[in-house]
Amino acid sequence: MQLSFGEGLRQFLGPDTLVSVVVEGLAKSAIYVMIASGLTLIFGLMGVLNFAHGSLTMIGAYLAGLVMVTLVGSATGAWTRLALFFVALAAVFVALAFLGGVMEVGLVRQLYDRPPIYQILLTFGLTLVLEELVRIVVLFYGLQPISEWRAALGTRPAILSAEQSIGPLSVRGLALFEIALGAATVLGIWAFLTRTRYGLYIRAGSEDAEMAEALGIDVRRVFTFVFALGAGVAGAAGALLMWDPVWGANVPLAAETLLPAFVVVIIGGLGTFRGTVAGALVVGMADATTTWWFQNVVVTWTWLPEITVFLILVGMLIVKPQGLFGVEEVGGH
Amino acid sequence: MYHLLTTFSFPVAPSAINSFAIAVLPRVDSMVAVLYFALFAMSFDFISGYTGYLSFGHAAFYGTGAYAVILIANGKVPLLPAGTPFMVSLLVAAVLAGLLAVVIGLVSFRLSGVYFAMITLGFAQVLYVFVRGWDYVASNPRDGPAVGSTHPEGFEIGIPFVDQLTLAIGTFSGDTVVVLGHELGTYTVSFYMVGLVALVSYFAMQRVIHSPFGRVMIAIRENEERAAAIGYDTFRYKLGAFVISGFFGGVAGALYAGFSRSVTPESTFYFLTTGDALLASIIGGFGTLAGPLYGHLFDHSIREFLSNTGQGGGLLPFLRETLPEGVLTADIVGGLTVEGFIGAALNGHASLYVGIVFVLFVLYVPSGLLGTLRNYLGGSVSERLPAKLWGER
Repeated sequence: MQLSFGEGLRQFLGPDTLVSVVVEGLAKSAIYVMIASGLTLIFGLMGVLNFAHGSLTMIGAYLAGLVMVTLVGSATGAWTRLALFFVALAAVFVALAFLGGVMEVGLVRQLYDRPPIYQILLTFGLTLVLEELVRIVVLFYGLQPISEWRAALGTRPAILSAEQSIGPLSVRGLALFEIALGAATVLGIWAFLTRTRYGLYIRAGSEDAEMAEALGIDVRRVFTFVFALGAGVAGAAGALLMWDPVWGANVPLAAETLLPAFVVVIIGGLGTFRGTVAGALVVGMADATTTWWFQNVVVTWTWLPEITVFLILVGMLIVKPQGLFGVEEVGGH
Repeated sequence: MYHLLTTFSFPVAPSAINSFAIAVLPRVDSMVAVLYFALFAMSFDFISGYTGYLSFGHAAFYGTGAYAVILIANGKVPLLPAGTPFMVSLLVAAVLAGLLAVVIGLVSFRLSGVYFAMITLGFAQVLYVFVRGWDYVASNPRDGPAVGSTHPEGFEIGIPFVDQLTLAIGTFSGDTVVVLGHELGTYTVSFYMVGLVALVSYFAMQRVIHSPFGRVMIAIRENEERAAAIGYDTFRYKLGAFVISGFFGGVAGALYAGFSRSVTPESTFYFLTTGDALLASIIGGFGTLAGPLYGHLFDHSIREFLSNTGQGGGLLPFLRETLPEGVLTADIVGGLTVEGFIGAALNGHASLYVGIVFVLFVLYVPSGLLGTLRNYLGGSVSERLPAKLWGER
C-alpha cells in the first residue's frame, strides 16, 4: 500500500499511526540507550572511546543465545522462558563485566598517560581480535556468522513474537518488552550513579579525577570497575538484541551497533548519561518516523532510513558540537 | 613479489628456497594492491599523523576517486566522454576528492579530538549509504559499479595522447613488455606503472611535509594553541593539509579503480577501509610518511601468509606440504587432529593475527616500524644508515 505524500501526512498524523510510531520509536530508543550507555559511562569517566564496545555487545548476544539454546526446550512455557532470559541476562552481564575488567587491567590501563588517540587505536585492534575469535568459534560449531542465529531467535516466547492489543491499538509484544527493559536499565544506572557511594565516586571522577584522587578515592579501581560495568551493560544489550529479528546474534552486529552507539553518545554530549538518554530518544524517534514513511509512502530515496542516524550526527555537530547536554571540556579533549 | 625475485635474482633457484619464498613473500598481483592502498594509507597519515587530527572518514576520498574514474569510463559524467585518457580522469577524480575535502573540512575543523574523528566518520558513512542506494552509479549499486563496454581497453598510465609513453594496467587488460629477453606480465607492468604514480605522489607529499607549510602542520600536532599564538592561521593550515590529503586519497582510489576495473561500496567508502589505513599507519609508523607503505606491506604479508588456501603461497599449504603425515594426523584433544586444528585456526582468519600484532604495536612499539628504526638510528634512514654501518660521521 503506497500512499502519496499528502495522504501519507494525513495518515501519519492520525492517532493510531502516531501512537504506533511512538511505540516503535520508544522501542528503538530503548535499544539505542542500552547499546550506548556503557560507552558513555566509560567515556565520561576515563575519556576512553571504546571501539570494542560493539564487539562486546556481539559477544553478549552469542553468549545469551548459548544459554537460552541450552536451557530452553520446545516444551518450555512462556513465563519460564522469560525467567530464563533474565538468568541469561545476568550470566552475560557477569561474564562480560569480567572480560571488561580484564581488558582494562591488562591493556587499557597502560595507555592512560598517552594521547587519547592511542586508546581509540588499541580498542580498534581489540575489535579485530574479538570478532575473528568469535568467527572462528562460530564457524567451528557450524553456525553462519553473517546471518541471524535462528535457534537463538526460536527461544523467544510466543507472547513476544505476536502482536499484543492494548485497547484499540495493536503493538508488537517485543517492542513493549524492549521498552520495559530499556527503562529498567536507565533507571538502574541512574539510581546507581546517584544513590550509591560508588556512583558518587564515578561522578566525582568524571568531574575531576585528580581532585577525587586527592580526596582519597582509589581512582584506578574505580576505572576498572566502570570499564567492567560498561562492558557488562554492552553484553546485556546483546542479550536483548539476540531476540530481536532486526538485529539477531551475528558477527556483523559489532559494527552495526557500534556506529549508532557512537552517534547517540555524541548527540547527547560525550560523557553525560542524561544526554545519552536524550540522544537515544531523538535517534530512536527519528528512526521510527523515517522507517514508517519509507514503508508506507512513495519515498524515492531508498537510502533514507539508513542514513537518518548519520544525518542527525552531522547536523548536530554543525549546530552544537558539544551535543545536547555536553560541556566542552569533558574527557580533556 | 616472488615472481620478481625468482625471475631476476634466482632464475634457477633451488627448489627449497623457491618453495619457502612462495610461502613467505606476497604475490606480485597483490603487490599492486599494496602500492595503491599504501598510497591511500600515506594520505591518511599525512593528515592524521602530522596534524594529529584523526580523519576517520578518509575512505570518502578513496571512494570518490574510485567511483569518479569508473563513472567517467562509463560515460556517466557530463563533459567527459568515455574515452577520456586515464591520466586525465585520475586528475579529475583527485580534484573532486580535494573539493570534497574542502566541504568536509570547512565543517569539521571547527571541532577537534574525538569530535573531529566522529564527524568525518559521519560524513563518510552518509556517502557510503548514499552510493550504496544510488542507482545512477550502477544497475545494482549495492555491488558497486564496474567498467562497462564503453571503455574496453585498459587504463593507461603515462603521458596521455603519446602511445609510446603509456602502458595499460589491469589483470586482463594490461600491457605486457619484453625487457632483455624477459617477458613482463600484466601484473608486473601494472606493478611498475601504479608504483610510478604512487612514487610521484609520495614525493609530492614529502615535499609538502618538508616545506615551511609542513612545519606548521607538525606545530599544530605538537601544540595548536602555541602555533596559533605565534600568528599562524591554524584553521587554514589544517584545511590546506586536509585538501592535499584528500587529493592524494583520491589518486589512490583512482589507481584502485583503474587496476581492478570494478569497485564495491565496502572496499571504498566503508569505515573499515579507513580502519585498514589506520592499521598500516600505526604498524608502519604514525607521522612518518613512508611508514604506511611498510605498514601495509607488513599487514598484507601477514594476511596473505596466513590465509591462502591453495594456489601458491601461505603458511597453510606450506605446512601441509612440509609437515610429515604422522604429525598432521596426530590427535590433540577429542578427535581434533593437528591438520584440523591448523585448518580451523589459519584458514581465512588472518584478521585475528593482524589484530594481535596491531595491539602489540600500539602497546609496545608506538612509533611503528619506521619510526622505531629512525629513533634507533637518530635520523632518517638514508642519512644515518651508512654511518651506522661503517662507523663514519
